[in-house]
Amino acid sequence: MDTTGATARPRFQVTIEDSGNRFACAEGLPVLKAMTALGGGGIPSGCHGGGCGVCKVRVLEGAYRTAAMSRDHVSPEEEAGGVALACRLYPASDIRLRVLGRMRKAVAARRYGFV
Amino acid sequence: MGVMRIGHVDLRVLDIDEALNHYVNILGMIETDRDAAGNVYLKGWDEWDQYSLILNPSDRAGMNSIAYKVEKDSDLDDFEKRIADWGIAVENVPAGTLHNCGRAIRFDLPSGHEMYLFAEKKFVGKSVGAINPDPWPEDIKGAGVHWLDHALLMCELNPEKGINKVEETTRFLREVLDFYLAEQVTAGPNGEIQAATWLFRTTTPHDIALVGGPRPGLHHLAFFLDEWNDVLKAADTMGRKGVKIDVTPQRHGITRGCTIYFFDPSGNRNETFAGLGYLAQPDMPPITWTEDQLWRGIFYHVGEEAGSFTSVYT
Repeated sequence: MDTTGATARPRFQVTIEDSGNRFACAEGLPVLKAMTALGGGGIPSGCHGGGCGVCKVRVLEGAYRTAAMSRDHVSPEEEAGGVALACRLYPASDIRLRVLGRMRKAVAARRYGFV
Repeated sequence: MGVMRIGHVDLRVLDIDEALNHYVNILGMIETDRDAAGNVYLKGWDEWDQYSLILNPSDRAGMNSIAYKVEKDSDLDDFEKRIADWGIAVENVPAGTLHNCGRAIRFDLPSGHEMYLFAEKKFVGKSVGAINPDPWPEDIKGAGVHWLDHALLMCELNPEKGINKVEETTRFLREVLDFYLAEQVTAGPNGEIQAATWLFRTTTPHDIALVGGPRPGLHHLAFFLDEWNDVLKAADTMGRKGVKIDVTPQRHGITRGCTIYFFDPSGNRNETFAGLGYLAQPDMPPITWTEDQLWRGIFYHVGEEAGSFTSVYT
């Protein structure tokens, strides 16, 4: 069964400015899901529910809509300025974005077990 | 006497309909009540109190508070005094402050998480009843979780600044609320840092767990399943429904549980946890996992971090 519902729908190109990576995202699919489903990288992948904030991006160009995102991670001002969580970001045209979120584990070795 | 078990978690969700679909149709919980503020109350089929999960519509994810049930009303007076004597502000709240519960006491754990203790909650009974019951109900949905089993709370750990809320909260739970230590992770140059703990009041290895991280939060809520095959079928349901799975079915070294980690539609991490692990008793020697074997403790097969275990939580 196609759980993504992505077959036979319009597809938009998503370009990650940081890396130049491009991938297709079907209408109705969040950007992060489209990226991970294709085995791609570039945007940190976390909870996929708008709650953890690691997939934060700024949309530089293109039309889109968003679903609910935790206010702990995206303020109303940021949202108005094009900031979104990629897991809640649905393109309505080709879009170009910049990655703002970071996975903490990628940054430094841990010294005390989990931190 | 004292704390019996986890009572409920009050959880923030971004979209109540999506959250209900997840907890009812995928996990198999049962909606038992709603209130005027829009909160929805749920229980597992094997639970007898009215609810173990409150879904609170919010613009943020994460946990509002966690509640444990004590055996006797007089326990609340005893704990109120002991908590205050330990130096933590404690508030006596009247019946009904917690929905359909008797009076309660409210305080913040040293980690900053809000906790309630209560002795009474509205009784509704198990789905299979208490007279000649069937082993499981016919109308079970999705994973068919039995009960809310435990929660793992992330506690601030920053040894260079002298902050170890895991150690402090563990000490509070043991000395004041009479929890017992089942297992711990030690870290740091001489293994002197208590970096994670698993504590119990029931006869299973944990009713609460604490892990050190950069900031406090909710790591996960865990729901009980009987055994490994139930874990596999739960994962099948999640695959079918497109649930974001963080870590596929496998074994914990710590607690010996069989597990899946996944996220609810607001990004709160859930676990389905199977098996009773081992018999936990007050006189059991606590188990220690050293830092070099820490990931064997968390994910026994791979012995490495899987998914986004430490980097993502609400």
